Amino acid sequence: MAFSPYIDAFTDYLRTGDTRGMNDYCVDATQLKRLAVYRNGFYKGCIDALAANFPVCEKSLGREYFNQLARLYVDHYPPEIGTLVGYGEYFPYFIRDLLEVLEQQESMRLSASLVDLARLDYAWLTSLMSADATQTLTAEKITWLVEHGEDFTQAQVTLSASVDLLRVNAGTLNQWLGFKTNSPDVEPLVLLPEGHMNLSELSQADSAPAVDTVMFWRLNDAVQARLLSVPEVALMRALQDVGVLEKAFAAALALDPSFDVSEVFSACLQNEILDIDLTKYNYKN
Amino acid sequence: MEQVRLKANVSSPQQSRLAGAQLGAGLGLKLEHLDDILALPRADTLPAVESLWFEVHTENYFVAGGPRLNALRSIRDNYDVSFHGVGGSLGYDHQSMHEHIQQVKALINEFQPVLVSEHAVWSRSGGTYFADLMPLPRTQDALQSLVDGVDRFQSGIGRRILIENPSNYLDFTSEMDEPAFLVEAARRSGCGLLIDINNLYLSSKNTGIDAAQYLSQIPVELVGEIHIAGHDPDPELGQALLIDSHASPVDLAVWELLQYALTLFGHQPVLVERDANLPPFAELMNERQQAQDCLEQCRHEAASANVSLGEIR
Ligand SMILES: [Fe+2]
Repeated sequence: MAFSPYIDAFTDYLRTGDTRGMNDYCVDATQLKRLAVYRNGFYKGCIDALAANFPVCEKSLGREYFNQLARLYVDHYPPEIGTLVGYGEYFPYFIRDLLEVLEQQESMRLSASLVDLARLDYAWLTSLMSADATQTLTAEKITWLVEHGEDFTQAQVTLSASVDLLRVNAGTLNQWLGFKTNSPDVEPLVLLPEGHMNLSELSQADSAPAVDTVMFWRLNDAVQARLLSVPEVALMRALQDVGVLEKAFAAALALDPSFDVSEVFSACLQNEILDIDLTKYNYKN
Repeated sequence: MEQVRLKANVSSPQQSRLAGAQLGAGLGLKLEHLDDILALPRADTLPAVESLWFEVHTENYFVAGGPRLNALRSIRDNYDVSFHGVGGSLGYDHQSMHEHIQQVKALINEFQPVLVSEHAVWSRSGGTYFADLMPLPRTQDALQSLVDGVDRFQSGIGRRILIENPSNYLDFTSEMDEPAFLVEAARRSGCGLLIDINNLYLSSKNTGIDAAQYLSQIPVELVGEIHIAGHDPDPELGQALLIDSHASPVDLAVWELLQYALTLFGHQPVLVERDANLPPFAELMNERQQAQDCLEQCRHEAASANVSLGEIR
C-alpha cells in the first residue's frame, strides 16, 4: 500500500466527509464510519480554539449558533500551521462577508456589530500574546537623556508591540466590555488604572461620533482598553507613522490647542506604551 | 469496567537510561490551576510534591510574549517541565516543519524541559493543519516517513525525543503491528518511546489487540515516559468505541494496566493527562498521588526482588 495516496484519501475525507477514498485502506469496511472520530476531532479542535479566541463573539451569538459559523469558517479557512493559538485571523472578515450574503438573502439576521466584536476579540488576543517590551521609555530614561543634553522630543520612539489601534462603530467597545466583564470564565479586563476611562465614561461614547478609535495595550500582563479622543488618535497615529514626540504633540495640538500634552505623555509613560532604542546614546542603566 | 487480565513479569526491570529518570508522577499543566499550583507548599517542606512535575502542550506556548509565557516561567522556577508536542506532524509533510521546529527550539532553549515528546502520527497535509492526531498506516513507507520526521525534528531541536503510541479506533491495512512499528521507528531514528497506557487500553478495546502482549514487545530501554488519562464511550457507538477524551478520571482498568506496565518497565515518569471537563486541582492532585503510589509500590517490589536475588546469590 502506497503511503501518499493514503494521506490524500484521508485528507480528502477530513475536508469533505466522503469516506469512499478510504475503502482500500480500512481492514473492515463496516468500520469506516469510525473515521468520524478523526473528523470530529479536527472540527472540535478548531471550533474550540475559535471559541477561546473569540469569547465575546461566542457569548453574543450563543454557543450553538457560534459553532455553526465557526464550522463554516473552518471549511473556508482551516488552520495552516501546527498551533491553534492565534487561529481565526480572518474570522472577523469572514463574518463581514457572510453578513453581506445574508443581507441579500435575508434568511438570517446577524447583528452588524458582530464584526466589530470579533475584531475587538482578536485585537485583545493579539495584544495579550504580543512580544514583551524590552525598551520601554520611562521617566528615568527621559531624565537621563535630558541630563546628557539630548532633546528627547526629537528622539525616535515607537509604540510598544502590544499597542493596537482599531476603529469600530460607536458604542461597540462598551458592548464588548459588557460581554467580556460579565463572563466569569475569561480573564478579567483591567479597566481602571489611573487615567483610564471607566465604564460609565465609556457609555457616554454612545452619543459620540459614529466611529470610535479603541486602543488596546498590555500593562503588567493584563490587556487594557481605552477609547481615544480625536487629538489622542492624531497623537498615536503620528507616533505610529513618524515616531517623533514633538511631531506627535504638534499633530494633537493642531486639532485641539487646549490638549494637555504633558498629562497625556505622562499617562503614556505610566502605561508603558512607548519604546525607545537608546543604543546610539550609549545609555547605561 | 471490565478488568484487564495480566500476567506480571516477575524479573526486576532494567531502569530506563533516558532523561527524566528522576521524575515521579506529573500532571498536565492547565493554566486555570496556576494559582493552586503556585500555592502548593515547597517540595522541601512537603515530600508529596517532591517529584511533582508538569507537562505542557508545546504549541500552546507559540506566543511572542505576555502572561502565558510568564505563567510557564513561574512554574519552571519551581518544577521540572516536559514539552509534549501535538502539532509536529512527524509522520507526514516535513517540508513545512522548519518554522515549527524553530519555535519548539526557542522554547526549549528558554525552559530546558526535562523531556520532549511528540506523537507517532500525522496532522498536516496539503497546507492544512488538521488539529488532531491522525493515524499512520503501519507500512514500510509510513515507517520511513515517520523516521524522517523524527530525524528532522531531533536534528532541529538538538535533542532526543520520545514518540507516543496513538489511540486506535479502527484497523488500517498494515504490514506490521504497532509495537514493531514503533520500536523500529525508535531504533532507526534514535528516539525513545512514550507509552500512553490509556491509548493502549483504547486500542485494545477498539481493535481487539492484546495490551499485555503489546507491552511485552517494547524494550524497556526505549521507554522514557508513561501517560495515563481518562476516556469516554462514543456518543453513538457506546462501549464499542472508546474515545481518548482526556475529560474523565483515569479508569480502573487503565490503573491496572499502568501497574502492569511498571512491573515491566520499572520506574518511569508517569503523567496524568486531563484536558477537558477540568475538576478542581485537588482532584487532579489525588489522581497524581495515586500514580505516585503506583511508582512507590513498583520501587518497593523492585527493591525486594533485588534483595531476594542477593540472598540467593
Ligand atoms: Fe498521551
